[in-house]
Amino acid sequence: MSTERQTQLVSTQSSIGSRATVAIIGLGLVVFAVSWLALFQWIGGETDVLGVGLFRLLGVCLLFIGVGTGACGFAARSGRIAATPRRSAGLLTGVLFGLLGFLVGGLSGAQTFGLGTAGWLVSAAGIGTAAATAAVFPREELGSTIPPSVFVTFVGAVITAGIIDAGWTWTPVDLSVTLIGPVVVPLLTIVASLIGVWSAAKAHSGFGARGRQSGAFLLISLSILGMLSVLVLLVGFIVVRGLDTVLTDAGVGIGSITVLNIQIPWVDVQIPFLMNVTQGLFVDVNGILPAIVGTLWLVIGAVVFAVPLGIGAAIFLTEYSESERFTQLVEIATNGLWSTPSIVFGLFGLTFLLPRISNNHRSLLGGQLVLGFMLLPLVVITSYEAIKAVPDEFRDASAALGVTRWQTIRSVVLPAAMPGIITGIILGVGRIAGETAPLLFVFPRSTFPSSVPNVLGSFEFSLAPPFVTNEALLSGGSALPYQLYASITSGHVPGQTFTVEQFGWGTAFVLLIVVLALYGIGITTRLYFQRKLQHE
Amino acid sequence: MSDIDMKQTRAESNEQRTTTTVGETEEELQSEWSAYEFDGQTKISVSDLDVYYGSDQALRGVSMDIPEKSVTALIGPSGCGKSTFLRCLNRMNDRVSSARVEGSVTLDGEEIYQDGVNLVELRKRVGMVFQAPNPFPKSIRDNIAYGPRKHGDIDTGLLARLLGDANPEEEEDLIQRSLRQAALWEEVSDRLDDNALGLSGGQQQRLCIARCLAVDPEIILMDEPASALDPIATSKIEDLIESLAQEYTVVVVTHNMQQAARISDQTAVFLTGGELVEYDDTDTIFEDPNSQRVEDYITGKFG
Ligand SMILES: Nc1ncnc2c1ncn2[C@@H]1O[C@H](COP(=O)(O)OP(=O)(O)OP(=O)(O)O)[C@@H](O)[C@H]1O
Ligand SMILES: [Mg+2]
Repeated sequence: MSTERQTQLVSTQSSIGSRATVAIIGLGLVVFAVSWLALFQWIGGETDVLGVGLFRLLGVCLLFIGVGTGACGFAARSGRIAATPRRSAGLLTGVLFGLLGFLVGGLSGAQTFGLGTAGWLVSAAGIGTAAATAAVFPREELGSTIPPSVFVTFVGAVITAGIIDAGWTWTPVDLSVTLIGPVVVPLLTIVASLIGVWSAAKAHSGFGARGRQSGAFLLISLSILGMLSVLVLLVGFIVVRGLDTVLTDAGVGIGSITVLNIQIPWVDVQIPFLMNVTQGLFVDVNGILPAIVGTLWLVIGAVVFAVPLGIGAAIFLTEYSESERFTQLVEIATNGLWSTPSIVFGLFGLTFLLPRISNNHRSLLGGQLVLGFMLLPLVVITSYEAIKAVPDEFRDASAALGVTRWQTIRSVVLPAAMPGIITGIILGVGRIAGETAPLLFVFPRSTFPSSVPNVLGSFEFSLAPPFVTNEALLSGGSALPYQLYASITSGHVPGQTFTVEQFGWGTAFVLLIVVLALYGIGITTRLYFQRKLQHE
Repeated sequence: MSDIDMKQTRAESNEQRTTTTVGETEEELQSEWSAYEFDGQTKISVSDLDVYYGSDQALRGVSMDIPEKSVTALIGPSGCGKSTFLRCLNRMNDRVSSARVEGSVTLDGEEIYQDGVNLVELRKRVGMVFQAPNPFPKSIRDNIAYGPRKHGDIDTGLLARLLGDANPEEEEDLIQRSLRQAALWEEVSDRLDDNALGLSGGQQQRLCIARCLAVDPEIILMDEPASALDPIATSKIEDLIESLAQEYTVVVVTHNMQQAARISDQTAVFLTGGELVEYDDTDTIFEDPNSQRVEDYITGKFG
């Protein structure tokens, strides 16, 4: 073997081999993409493509890929494709193909051939061991092409032969689910195409370290692609469904407002769904303004409560606390608080807060405090990490100039930690803005509110304690996630304009926008502080 | 100051030393150098300084007097306690929770290790420049003005402007003066508002020196200020140190013997175990040291 260990700087791979592997990878990627579309049933499994059904065509493609990767393996073995393979494809590959073989062997043993428990166990173990052996023992160019080739060809054959097709169903004994062809076939083709593509990518780079790098890179790129498409799918779905509702009866006109007897022209935007109350005598299009305003006040209140407290605690822990043990204790407590189920916060609010702050009535203040409690641990954790990450050199430099600890914290440590702290707040706000559970017991007043909380206008001052009161803070309201929950569970919405579903999607869309807007504010602030640290 | 006065000062500090001495043997240990007499006034006087990190002793009975307006170099192998000694002089060791300091350090005759010492005032008088340049992630201007602003000597904030207390001209003066002293003005005068992290390593170190000078200290402690720099930047820092000695008392730690020989007036040699083995005129140390160990160290046989 050592005689073949000749490294080449410029790979002189035969162009046929290289073209073949590229073709296999390309075909695999197409199968992968189409399978996803089929999985979401944007393309039916029976759609006629080139005279055959889609699923059958995918099966045929898999056959090509399977046979192709196998051929690449043999070509590399016989030296027709330049390759620098290792001694073995590796233990991990072996384990993966062993498991895959076990699955295939077990399922086909039990289902297709109707073997009993002992029978399918034997067949599963046999095929699994064979696959693992075939992956581990031959040299890499065979170990990482033959098992994939066999698997992909097998899946391709099963689908091409129509053994599993769009009409196929299977209800496993003891399980109350039914697997249906239109879901199982795309799932199979996705897995098979991934394995085929991985194998072909390794062959393309001639196995060895470079081959592993190519295979891994392909899988990693596909997973980031998968993640992005999930995101796009989710957001796209909400936008498509929700936008219709939001834009109902919306319009832009030229209005005017009168200031000091002068008419000032004004672009008059009307979006009833965003600007109307949910229920009222003269409301024709029911809107969700109360819930929007409610959510915003909730977030503001929670931030005002939790952020100073959280940053203060983090400063204490990093800069003042002398006792390692105390810091650890607080850290554990904070993590515990962060993982406490949100409904528990709601219960706490109901039984502890409401009797003390609003006479047992549900209230905005109660909701703000409960969400603040939820936000607090995240702010503490992220601020703590951000402040700890500020280099000690800054603190030393400042101390050596005779600057006090607090001045150092304010003018050096906090500015340097600010981007990290704000990231934490953004994450936390994103979470609490969408929370329903902790609010259920402490905040909602009516399912379909008919008025908007007027917090700013409700402050009343007096000379006797408590000196300042705010009716709006002490009465309940509605928030976007709660509104969504309430309208879906109650099964009806007021007015004739929307169905429950339309109303729900509209609310979800607005919630998405509100959360994104909050993110936007946070990210802008973070950029501002970052820029101050870097450029100024 | 007349000769008589000076002798008196010496006598006083000797007296102080004997009263604080713990054991006889240590007194003997120091005897080879304690004869070192300099002409000039004592700025810092250290006697019987022991420093422990937890249970490890990093300095053992160090005593030395540092004359004012001169450059004192501290040399010695790695881990012998030079940085520790330096950090005792402005009590930066207070920031290390495991560190314990015993003995006495006086600054102009005033004990700095006693209750009620104002650390802020102490560190304003005893500035420090670190081994690695550590400018703040702020503009050059803000870096220089940082100390004076925090001490309230200079205020250009919004409130000060509203109250009419702002002194922006003074700030300009101070920044320019400090940067000139640190030989950096020419290079950065047109970009005072740029972030200091955009400067080169040597410029950053000079900025740190300027930042330290802006507080108007009497003593400047430098811990291997040029160890991260190239020869040209190093020679700039060396020139700078020599010129600073006109006005300031400079104590500088260095690993570079030639550097110590070039820039310092007197040199203290620490050897492993945290003891001060010899302290004398730089020329004497490098040409005719008393102790064989010092000679070995300087000629590279030991270290
Ligand atoms: N923060 C600390 N905690 C515990 N031990 C320390 C600490 N700082 C220094 N020491 C120990 O004290 C001794 C002296 O360290 P010091 O940093 O003063 O040496 P140094 O002479 O400056 O060395 P170098 O030339 O490498 O900078 C060393 O043994 C070191 O391990
Ligand atoms: Mg050191």
